[in-house]
Amino acid sequence: MSADPGSMERIEGPLEAAARAVLSDARELQGVFLRTLYWTARGRREPGEVARQCYEVGYRSAFFLSVTMGFIGMILVFQSGLQLLRVVPDLSQLGATFLELLVRDLGPTISAMMLATRVGAGIAAEIGSMVVTEQVDALRMCGVDPVDHLVVPRFMASMVMTVVLVMFSGLVSFAAGGATAWFVFDVQPLTYANFSLLDRGDLITGLAKCVAYGAAIPIVSGWCGLTTRGGSEGVGSATTSAVVNSSLAVIMLDLVISGVGFVVFV
Amino acid sequence: MATEEEGPAAQTGRAVLSLATDVGGAAVLAARLARRMVPPRLDGPELWRNLYRMGVRSLPIVGVTALFTGGIMVIQAGVLIRRFGAEGLLGWGAGFTTLREVGPILIALMFSGRVGANNTAELATMTVTEQIDALETLAIDPLSYLILPRVLSMVVMLFVLTVYGDVLALLGAAFMGDALLGVSTATFWNGLLDAIRVWDLATGLIKSALFGGVIALSSSHYGLSVSGGAPGVGRAVNASVVASATGIFVCDYLATYILQ
Repeated sequence: MSADPGSMERIEGPLEAAARAVLSDARELQGVFLRTLYWTARGRREPGEVARQCYEVGYRSAFFLSVTMGFIGMILVFQSGLQLLRVVPDLSQLGATFLELLVRDLGPTISAMMLATRVGAGIAAEIGSMVVTEQVDALRMCGVDPVDHLVVPRFMASMVMTVVLVMFSGLVSFAAGGATAWFVFDVQPLTYANFSLLDRGDLITGLAKCVAYGAAIPIVSGWCGLTTRGGSEGVGSATTSAVVNSSLAVIMLDLVISGVGFVVFV
Repeated sequence: MATEEEGPAAQTGRAVLSLATDVGGAAVLAARLARRMVPPRLDGPELWRNLYRMGVRSLPIVGVTALFTGGIMVIQAGVLIRRFGAEGLLGWGAGFTTLREVGPILIALMFSGRVGANNTAELATMTVTEQIDALETLAIDPLSYLILPRVLSMVVMLFVLTVYGDVLALLGAAFMGDALLGVSTATFWNGLLDAIRVWDLATGLIKSALFGGVIALSSSHYGLSVSGGAPGVGRAVNASVVASATGIFVCDYLATYILQ
């Protein structure tokens, strides 16, 4: 206000406004994260709720994930086969190299991008419509933290199911790649299924990624759902931002974990 | 409505039928849009507005995605580089996959999440509030006025954004190679320029235009064919994002075979 000389009015540039928005979002997200951890340790679960979410998150995504990961396997084996033929005429290492890349990076990351799309959108739409119909306020009135009641079951289910789904869809992807290698490049399945390049570092990196993505997706989308404003249009935009933000979280975590894994294990 | 006693055969049949309905619906939409292109009948201002909204507003998210993707691919290639001790191959290893495959796919997935989902939500809200019917009552063709500008903008903008993303991904890759692997930027560029042909770059860009078409058609189709009021809008958004992602991978597979 102009009456107060102490707080001089400054002109806020678009960059500063953006930075401010990012900071306040990060603070809110951190709040949801910490509350999720707190209630995971302390809260009491309704029996069957986590299992129901496991079904919702895991089983209902399995088909979608195996289709996309199967295609990814076929595409990558085909591409890298062509590439290898350009350099060396020997394709015996094709399966081993692909398996290493699949376990260490592409399996968890592409699956998690798909889960961010399907599960993230679902979580945000569900929680968002509860917010706009004031069901979340009703929960607060009953003295229940909405994070405890809504986010934590999805968080626990997603951590478990992401690991399971990534293993399953990675297997589908590896098999689809094997079929491509067999039919296109005439690589025998026994030559293709070569585990020699896989070491402890790859497995630990891959597993760490699965757990991190599984934790990040429900927290980010739960936050997007809980901050829904406006009516049904707000739910639409919460869904969109849940998909975008959880995909972005997956990519950022990927860079961080890959970097750490590289420094530690290679 | 599904009954309780539905057997696996009935479930499979239902899934196949709904897949056929959606793929066919998107194809019919594509044909009707193509007919309106022959002498181009579309709304100019609406086209510019959509180009701005879908393109310029997606710049930050695509930029961040691309920078990180470049960095990630360098780390993945770095393991091989360490194993064979061939630093000159880093540009090839990281650049090839980024430009040809991973870059276009990840950018398209982000675009689908941001723009495609938004498009479905908007069109679906217009459909359930009968605004599309109102346009028809006013003798305005909703396809020329609403859909065609959106579809064109998405195809054009995903292409342009992939060009921009490719540049940033290579920058991210060069920076990460220098910081983490100690491969100098000059070595990276030399390795990249020696090994990458123009065709590799072109493949990625052709794919991105294709992905743009897939995202545009599926998001518009799900937006227009929504039923069941406001909850239907949420379901349509979810279905459209899933369908776009599946479509992207299927198209990618076909394109990889055709554009070797």
